[in-house]
Amino acid sequence: MDSKHAVGDGAKRMSRELYLSIHAAEFPAQALLRLRPELRAQPVAVMDGPALQQTICSLNRHAVQLGAARGMTRLEAEAIAGLQLIVRSKAEEASARAVLEECAAQFSPRIEEVSLGTACAFVLDVAGSERLFGPADALAAQLRRAAGGAGFRISIAVGENFHAARIKAVATPGISIVAAGEEARTLGKLPLALLDLDADQSETFAMWGIRTLGQLAALPEVELVTRFGPAASRWRALAIGTAAHSFQPIEQALELSEFCEFESPVEEIDSLLFVAARMIDSLVARASARSLAVASISVEMRLEGSKTHRVALHPAIPSSDRKFLLKLLQLEAAAHPPQAAVRSLTIEAGSGQISKVQLGLFAPQTPEPSHLDVTLARIRAIVGHDRVGSPLLEDTHRPHSYRMEAFHAEQPDGRLAPHAARIALRRVRPPRQIQVTLRDDKPTTFRDGGELYSIAAAYGPWRSSGCWWSLGAWDAEEWDVLAADRNGVALSCLLVRDRLRDSWQLEAFFD
Amino acid sequence: MVTASALRLKIEQTLEGRFPAALTPAPRTIREVTATGIAAVDKLLDGGFPVAAISEIAGPSCSGRTSLALAFVAARTAEERVCAWVDADDAFDPESAAASGVELGQLLWVRCGCNAKHEKNWTRLEQAVRSTDLLMQTGGFAAIVLDLAGIDPAQAMRIPLATWFRFRQAADRTRTSLLVLGQASYAQSSAAVVLNTEPMRLESLGGTVLDGGAFAISRRRQRFQPQMINARKPPASTWTANTQWAMERSA
Repeated sequence: MDSKHAVGDGAKRMSRELYLSIHAAEFPAQALLRLRPELRAQPVAVMDGPALQQTICSLNRHAVQLGAARGMTRLEAEAIAGLQLIVRSKAEEASARAVLEECAAQFSPRIEEVSLGTACAFVLDVAGSERLFGPADALAAQLRRAAGGAGFRISIAVGENFHAARIKAVATPGISIVAAGEEARTLGKLPLALLDLDADQSETFAMWGIRTLGQLAALPEVELVTRFGPAASRWRALAIGTAAHSFQPIEQALELSEFCEFESPVEEIDSLLFVAARMIDSLVARASARSLAVASISVEMRLEGSKTHRVALHPAIPSSDRKFLLKLLQLEAAAHPPQAAVRSLTIEAGSGQISKVQLGLFAPQTPEPSHLDVTLARIRAIVGHDRVGSPLLEDTHRPHSYRMEAFHAEQPDGRLAPHAARIALRRVRPPRQIQVTLRDDKPTTFRDGGELYSIAAAYGPWRSSGCWWSLGAWDAEEWDVLAADRNGVALSCLLVRDRLRDSWQLEAFFD
Repeated sequence: MVTASALRLKIEQTLEGRFPAALTPAPRTIREVTATGIAAVDKLLDGGFPVAAISEIAGPSCSGRTSLALAFVAARTAEERVCAWVDADDAFDPESAAASGVELGQLLWVRCGCNAKHEKNWTRLEQAVRSTDLLMQTGGFAAIVLDLAGIDPAQAMRIPLATWFRFRQAADRTRTSLLVLGQASYAQSSAAVVLNTEPMRLESLGGTVLDGGAFAISRRRQRFQPQMINARKPPASTWTANTQWAMERSA
């Protein structure tokens, strides 16, 4: 009998609605301070509006303690000693909103946005999540911790009624639990201003002496509707915590992007990387929350003079190692520094599956991909960007045609058969112009700089030509030459006669 | 009855003051080597270049240094291993490497000589040494060729001994064979093997094509080899290499 009741209670518990509301007040200030932790302990106000008519739109509690208030003009705000003024950044707010949403998405896939004014707010449908995260207060504590880790101060309310939870989160800082059936009592003492009333309606209620939701709930519904119309019925339902709501979850697309706009242009790479490190941290954490890794990073720097500088990173394998990604960015930025001071920084990351490498016990050793990425970036910084890689021969008869490909330490599909020893050439880059003496159209001596070489044997000519139909035409005559200088030192080399320009060049040595 | 082992022990104890362990053979460390792919050179080196050590090929121009190094790298890439060629003189020829059997996809080519946009204006020798240092510390490469063949010996001699010692330690730790090509030997005591090469003897002066050449090679130093007290001349050998077209023609 007892077990029957327990199942019944469980089914009831599973079927009931449960909503968790997140409210991040003063979001313009929070969005700006998220990536500037050094300013969090200082009074900060965010200015919004046209250049000459800026007013405070958002501020932190330190600024409130100093006497700053929303709506103050820049002149008034500047008169408050110690108050830091930052210009509002809508892009940074959008980026921060995405981060907060990502944070909430770790706890529920069903999220509805209920942002109003300068606050950013979400309501999560957390029904049935008790087995995953524990009771409502534990879930709220975990979510608040996660948001705190991402740099947000939020208030949370949990309740069975959507609007009751939403209103409670707006009104009460910290974590609040609206018990089932206790909605009217919990909301009773909250101010009437939490309802979406216009100025006339607020004035009427003020004249009646109605200042709290509890006082509104105590009014007779029929008379209220008679005076204010159908909307009054909804206000009363909101005040007693019985208002119905059709949940409209937002579609979540994983967009790994961070944006930071600087107050003054930044010239030093180290300062940029200091901010970029926090942004990469956040991107890696967001990707990891979905069991993904960062496969690519694209950095866009908006420079002074409306120019844009872009840097792209493509690690050999997707990685969640923030130090590794930051090192790659540091090396890439050092190799391709921005040509002017940076006004804003956008980092977008592409996600990829976390790499799993099954190493063979008898497989040959190869460089560890992430170490190799950093090593190659460092070498590129030393010798030049296009001078490190694997050579790839091109399918043409044109001599020494190849291009550099990115080096990937991947093992081939099959084992190759070793060749017999061949004579190799050492190229002279660029080829040296020489003077050649001919007899019966065969070279007999050549002069390379100040040295005269007499040719003992000359094998050739080996002629090749191509692309005669285009500007890249070539017509060459190669001679394999065995020669000796005045001291009898032997030399074997490749001489090339450019038949189009009728000039001789020392192209390579046999070594 | 005195057994042989008891007798040996007695003799060793008697001579202990003058010859420690007189009748017991000294323990010998067997170093791992990898074949170069050229039989004559492998025979000269007792199997090939040592693994996890520095080997040097020193000689003048046209003495087969590059061909020997490419044969070694080709043998490594044929074993599905990856190699690196740090080219101080920017003289590496990918076509020759492919003709020698090097799997180019498994070869990292570092071309020195062009200054990157860097605050320091490094010479090509400094670029080569720094790049080699980074690759040695990364590990995972079966062979790294430091090609200093085009560098003036007077400059290359200035590479500090501490650098070579660091390369030797890194090679030992990462199991990498570091092959140094140069006009002279630079690594000194850090080199496990030093080979001297002589200019090419011409094989077919009278033919219509350059078929190939014979290269003389001698072993000047081999650190892990027992000392040959009676040897007056260093062990030497000759090996031949053919041109690609000669091989194709004979096939």
